[in-house]
Amino acid sequence: MPPVTTASDQTPLPFGAASAPTLDRRGLGRRLSALANASTAEVMALDAQSPPYRPLAPRIGLTGSPGAGKSTLGGRLAVLRSLQRRVGLLAIDPSSPLTGGAILGDRIRMDEVAGIERLYVRSLASRTSADGLAPNISELLVAMDSAGFEELLLETVGVGQVEHAVHHQVDTAVLVLVPGAGDYVQAMKAGMMELADIFVVNKSDLAGAAQLVTEIQGVLHAFPPPATCWLPPVVRTSVSDADSVAELSAAIDRHQSWLNAHNNAAQRQLQRQRYRLRSLLERQLAEMVSALGPDFFQASLHQQVQTLAKSLQVGFGSLSPLKP
Amino acid sequence: MKIAEKTESSSRAESSLRGRRILVAKPGLDGHDIGAKIIALALRNAGAEVIYTGLRKSAQYIARVAIDEGVDAVGLSILSGSHCELVTQVVERLQEAGAGDIQVFVGGTIPEADHAQLQAMGVRGIYTSDMPLERVVRSLAQALN
Amino acid sequence: MSSSMTAEPRLAQTSPSGIDVPVRVGSDAVRADAIGEPGAYPFTRGIFEDGFRGRLWTIRQYSGFGTAEESNERYRFLLDRGQTGLSVALDLPTQCGLDPNEDMARPEVGKVGVSLSTLAEAEILFKGIDLGKISTSFTINGTAAIVYAMYLAVADKQGVPRSKLTGTIQNDILKEYVARGTWIFPVRPSMRLIADSILYSNTETPRFNPISIAGAHVRDAGATAVEEMAYTLANGLAYVDELLRRGGDVEKFAKRLSFFFYVHMDFFEEVCKFRAARRIWARLMKERYGVVDLKAQHFRFGVVCGGSSLVAPQPYNNVVRVAVETMAAVLGGAQSIFTCALDEAYQIPTEFSAELAVRTQQIIAYESGIGRTVDPLGGSYFVEQHTDQIEAAVLKVMREIDDYGGVEKAIEDGWIQMRLAERALQRKLNIDSGETVVVGQNHFRNPDEVCTPGEVFRLDPAAAGRVIDRHQQVLQTRQQSEVDRALKRLGAAASQDKENLLPYLVECCHTYATVGEMVASLRAQWGEFQEPVRL
Repeated sequence: MPPVTTASDQTPLPFGAASAPTLDRRGLGRRLSALANASTAEVMALDAQSPPYRPLAPRIGLTGSPGAGKSTLGGRLAVLRSLQRRVGLLAIDPSSPLTGGAILGDRIRMDEVAGIERLYVRSLASRTSADGLAPNISELLVAMDSAGFEELLLETVGVGQVEHAVHHQVDTAVLVLVPGAGDYVQAMKAGMMELADIFVVNKSDLAGAAQLVTEIQGVLHAFPPPATCWLPPVVRTSVSDADSVAELSAAIDRHQSWLNAHNNAAQRQLQRQRYRLRSLLERQLAEMVSALGPDFFQASLHQQVQTLAKSLQVGFGSLSPLKP
Repeated sequence: MKIAEKTESSSRAESSLRGRRILVAKPGLDGHDIGAKIIALALRNAGAEVIYTGLRKSAQYIARVAIDEGVDAVGLSILSGSHCELVTQVVERLQEAGAGDIQVFVGGTIPEADHAQLQAMGVRGIYTSDMPLERVVRSLAQALN
Repeated sequence: MSSSMTAEPRLAQTSPSGIDVPVRVGSDAVRADAIGEPGAYPFTRGIFEDGFRGRLWTIRQYSGFGTAEESNERYRFLLDRGQTGLSVALDLPTQCGLDPNEDMARPEVGKVGVSLSTLAEAEILFKGIDLGKISTSFTINGTAAIVYAMYLAVADKQGVPRSKLTGTIQNDILKEYVARGTWIFPVRPSMRLIADSILYSNTETPRFNPISIAGAHVRDAGATAVEEMAYTLANGLAYVDELLRRGGDVEKFAKRLSFFFYVHMDFFEEVCKFRAARRIWARLMKERYGVVDLKAQHFRFGVVCGGSSLVAPQPYNNVVRVAVETMAAVLGGAQSIFTCALDEAYQIPTEFSAELAVRTQQIIAYESGIGRTVDPLGGSYFVEQHTDQIEAAVLKVMREIDDYGGVEKAIEDGWIQMRLAERALQRKLNIDSGETVVVGQNHFRNPDEVCTPGEVFRLDPAAAGRVIDRHQQVLQTRQQSEVDRALKRLGAAASQDKENLLPYLVECCHTYATVGEMVASLRAQWGEFQEPVRL
């Protein structure tokens, strides 16, 4: 199989170089680190200093179980799409619950990344987040947006809970499966529709690929969406086949066009705002509750809630600026 | 009833690198990666977020990843004897990109005769393979915290 | 250092591989009829019935490195002194398939070995040396087929018949992926290339050993003795399968397969590891592949005594270590032994320490008498029990690899690499804590000891420049059209799975195509191995 060609040319950006801010990589790198470490108070302080939350860059989510080859696929996809636009790839890996540390980017690393100006790759640890995304993910995505990225790819490991969380954060959700996932497909049944906008059968050179495609299509057609809704396509990919990656990219383009035509951006925006607020509150509450000792729980439930509510107000009351 | 305002992770030795982002890289053509992998695991166990590049990475690649990933430190693992040239290349790239504040550490087979030269380049710590891991982690934590 | 390390260490209850070692073993542990005889299937006691009295093990010496001219001078000096075997180390660019003028190559040209970018360098390396009279061993893997082709091309130009050529190429790509790192292409095409080189060598250079399947590197990378053997035997089987797929006759090619391993400090673990391996391999050859010829059932192997078992503090301790390990190698029945010098851990061995390493083998060979009779430990209650247990443990790991989907898949997925990394971390932590005793390093230290490192290899900085200049010169003086034609033919043959690639590689070498060009031609067809980074 021939190797995948790399994007070494720098075709001009569609809207001309003048309007796109030059990417300050070092600055962005540091800002993202600070945001990833930001406490809830710092996040709120930052928000007070920033323009209203209005994410613009289309977002693509890539999920699937470990071993689905999703990271290599994500990398190839990002490289391909960076030919046309500035792309940011955020990849989330799980933190060790014991040590709090993480091996990030624990995946195949592409050499080509270094030479591509329009591609930015950032690895994140899930840390203490309950849903498998990273803390402050909303803020991180907004920061990428503000840095002038025209498209964002969000890649995570996991099936189930993580997928739903990702789905709310992105415009186009791509679920990557590999031959052998037949049982999973059968188990999801009607739920398949909610999972993703595009299904990918990766490692399609393996036995069972065609069968899996058929199974997924079978489920999708058994529970077809209304005519006004998007019918998820099933794309076969193999990382050694550049054309298949292009096909996936084309399917994403099609979905993005469909989204623009059907204009439910407002709905997605609302979902994200809700998610953002909820994450912030959940985080703050989780931190507070985990510090509570046995004495606290002597009081009645009503009193416990009252006390916590007051502390929340106090806790959020002190706004200190975020250190750069 | 007192409620803690914020839970901070304790500063036990095991989590001495919590919140730190560290890049472990293999520059040059040297193919012995077990030392780099051991260090990466030990750093993870000390609470750090670690990115390991894999083998045969160019200085451009290493610097690019270090910057985009916003790491606090880069650890270069070199066992082929080419440490002086390779470290120079990486340090230069980092400085060119305005990232001279990212601390650089070197591990592997580094003869003592070369330590001074590396330190003059700005290398903050040199860790040879016989050093106990606990010592490496402590030294890194001191340099980064 | 923790306080536990000033206390007297205790004798461990398990071997380093984790096998329980009983305090006592009695006669009930052994079935005398199951042990077998030396020279008879399944060869637990040895592949030759007359052992070392028939032929002593080969005492391997390791030549230094440098530029092609310096190496040539050194070789001719050694050959004059009566040595008949040369060992050639190649620099990293050559090992990784890069030309010396490429960016990634420049800092590494000529450092850990000779730069062999074109036939011109090979001609300098062997100038005035009759290839028909010496044996050359190349430590080369990713580009082994190319270096072998170059060797043939030099022989052709010297007018030496290929049937007279002897030597070895390491040519073991599977271990590169997991422990040594000089891989280039993905697994499948690399296996094809290896099979081609072995089959070609079997007919063209029947006295040449076209592969040396290595366990040593995974051992260094952290594997236990059991894992070292299991991964290596599994790799061996993968090569056999590929050779069969390419149409080879196992009765023939199996005779030219050989292995090499480390010998570390647990004496009986090492002896029993080799006894178990002979039995396992012979059984597999017979039962899985139907091999009938006894010679094709033989498990032949060489060893390195030392490696990561040697440490810098109290360096003279290493002499003792190497001696103990050499004894284990002898009692384990190795065909060749290389003994590390006492100072190898921290400097280029001095002449004194290099000589002492050879003397160690000679003393054991001629003064200790342990090699006088075949497998003298055979029949020992403990040795037979431990051999059985190691055999079971090795087979278990091999089954795990099979269950995973085979070595190739395990390597592509990074599964083996991950296991090695975990083991290595554990080993390091055990040494750091003193649980694994290393005398002089973590126990019984000399607190006032000052390690004064000596000479480290310094390549004359101008040497790399000369190599690059010569390389450029070759590019200018050769016939470009011939090169292009040969490379194109190579690429075409590589794109199909049918023909043996060696004749095409030899042809390329004769046109002075560079290693980088040949590799690029193959890479265009096969792509590059994508390293799975899994921790």
